[in-house]
This record gives sequence, C-alpha cells and structure tokens, in this order.
Amino acid sequence: MQLTTAPGMQSEIFAPTTPPPVWTPVSKPLKDCVVGFATAGGIHLKAQTPFNPAGDFSIREIPSNEPVSAMMVTHGGYDNSDVNKDINAMLPVDRLNELAKEGFIGKVAPTLVGFMGGGGNVEKFRNETGPAIAKILKDEGADICVLTAG
Amino acid sequence: MIVQRAIEEAGIPTIIIAALPPVVKQQGSPRYVAPRVPMGANAGAPNDKMMQTAILKDTLNALMEFTEFGQNKALPYEYKHA
Repeated sequence: MQLTTAPGMQSEIFAPTTPPPVWTPVSKPLKDCVVGFATAGGIHLKAQTPFNPAGDFSIREIPSNEPVSAMMVTHGGYDNSDVNKDINAMLPVDRLNELAKEGFIGKVAPTLVGFMGGGGNVEKFRNETGPAIAKILKDEGADICVLTAG
Repeated sequence: MIVQRAIEEAGIPTIIIAALPPVVKQQGSPRYVAPRVPMGANAGAPNDKMMQTAILKDTLNALMEFTEFGQNKALPYEYKHA
C-alpha cells in the first residue's frame, strides 16, 4: 500500500524544531575570565543612531567604561519602563565593573554590545549580526559572554 | 537564541539571562538562567543593586557549572511591575 502520494510533504500545522546542540566548554575560572556582554534589549549610547523599532539587525558598540547616563534604549518590542529607570536592568554595566573590581571576574571586555532582538530578519541575525558580535568579543579576548534577551 | 548560538559556535561559552525561558529553550540556547522577572528587567529590578549583583553572580557561576547543552536553572529572584 502506498502511504505517500507527495514525497516530502509536511503537515500544514507548523511544528517548530529546536536546532542541533552547540557547545563550547569553559576553559578557565571566573576570576581569570574577560567577560563580554551582549543585550538584545536595544541599548545604545545616546550619541549613536537609534535602532529602527520596526526591525533592525545592526549592532551598537558600547564602551564598558561609559556611564549608564550616556546610554538609552530604542526597542519597540517590550515595555521599556524598567530600562528607562535603570539601564542596568538589561545591560548591568555597573554591576560588571563592580564584579571586576572585587575580583569575582577577571576583567570586563572593553566593548559591550547592544542590538535589537525580538524578531526581524532571522537569516541576517544568524549569518551576519551573530558572527559580527562574536568577532568583537574574540578580538577583545573575551573568554565568556553573558546575554540578556528573551 | 540565534545570536547566542553564533557566539557559542565561534568558540566563546555563553549564557543567557532569560525572562521567557521557554522561548530561549525552543531556539536552542546552549545555557540559560531564568529569574522571575518581566522582559526588560532580565538582569534584575531597576535600581536594585543587590538583586542585579545576585543575578549576575548566579549567572556567571551557572556558566562555570553547567556541563551540557540546554542546561538551565531558575534563579530565586522575583520582580514584577506594580
């Protein structure tokens, strides 16, 4: 008996799949790590061009020694009220610098990264934005990276 | 999520602080933690230095401790809008 008349046909009900595992082991203790940070929360410097809230896959490089008063948020995909009160709620730059000072981590990467997540061009994020952020982290010798998103 | 995976693929271990853990799980996040916070306060309540520090430390410790893809942990901190 023939079960399929159209080879490769899939259910019309969209069934998302989880991508295959990706894993890099940690290679040194926290106190020796240069820590990078990237946020999908649309944080950028006030002096930089804001993100386009309708969709934007570009990135903003944020020096980790900039005060939070020099930063702002442009993101149309979530309630910005907490970040407007305190950038650290999404990009905890003050907390990172404190942890470096107390020796909990080795160093904060000189450049933190802001981008606007929550949708947009998935291919661009996967093939351009993601690798571009990885390159910034690599170039600065980041050993690990924390993100806020989702 | 997508960008996290790209960084991990480039050879840097990553962890995400998620307000929506089911979403980052579905997207194939290698490691994540989830405090009980709304989107936009992933790293802790605004102007709550103690909570932000605790979340960041727990996140970094989790990154050191996790041993397998998809490993995750709920963090015992709660903040919600009034």
